[in-house]
Amino acid sequence: MNLYKYASPTAFYPLAGKMIPWFSIPAAILFAVGMFVGFFIAPPDFQQGDAYRIMFIHVPAAWLGMFLYILMAIYAGIGWAFNARLASMMASSISITGAMFTFLSLVTGAFWGKPTWGTWWVWDARMTSTLILMFLYIGFISLQSSIEDPRRADRAGAVLALVGVINVPIIYFSVQWWNTLHQGATIRILQKPTIHGSMLWSLLIMLAACWLYSVAVVLIRVRCIILEREQNAVRLAEATV
Amino acid sequence: MNWPDLSMGGYGFYVWGSYLFALFAIVWELVTLSYRKKARTQEKASREVLRKTNETTS
Repeated sequence: MNLYKYASPTAFYPLAGKMIPWFSIPAAILFAVGMFVGFFIAPPDFQQGDAYRIMFIHVPAAWLGMFLYILMAIYAGIGWAFNARLASMMASSISITGAMFTFLSLVTGAFWGKPTWGTWWVWDARMTSTLILMFLYIGFISLQSSIEDPRRADRAGAVLALVGVINVPIIYFSVQWWNTLHQGATIRILQKPTIHGSMLWSLLIMLAACWLYSVAVVLIRVRCIILEREQNAVRLAEATV
Repeated sequence: MNWPDLSMGGYGFYVWGSYLFALFAIVWELVTLSYRKKARTQEKASREVLRKTNETTS
């Protein structure tokens, strides 16, 4: 099986269509399971009571906002370096979902901040760098929409995406580098997690659900972008399948 | 299994508010995406009709 042929947008279009249900259906199931575990199984926190349950949506949204930005920059960089149209289209497709998750993390963070810190917003390092991430997404989307020629738009977007990657480690390490209201990481790869098992499971299930949802939505959107940019080629490819 | 207290121990506004907002964001993304998909599919269908008409008339 020659996988390289799927680097072509016209060949990828029908494959993406077949892949969407494999991500969207498990995403819906995992959202339901994650919510069930988070609200019915996980106990209240001894300090924050039930307010901590915002974590099950806030943390996956914040992680996805960062990971999707890195993924977007990788795709944009590949598209720019190798003149790969599909990679650039994937970067455009990811940008909107990434912006949505970053916005969601900021809003749910504000909802969590009010009962626990007594304020909706503070200009601390973690929150400010996440806001900058949001502006980078908006900048990428605006820049791409403001340039009519898609290839030039892709190149301009790639420069912004690659420069903006520097912000992601700043967000991640901001709680260690600066004094901040935001708590440090509760889950580390090499250390035992500091939260209850059911809380951890709910968090991981919601994270998986958000990942699967992102993949499904990105695939749906990339199909629209392919149709917009390569209408005639898609028609020919479908006629030959 | 614990039945959750709907008032969330007095934090109901914040907990339900954040989940409601998340639901709103996801629904917004899916609705705008479905409109975009519908528009592209309609464009594609109308081009097909136009192409077939041109083929039969030429």
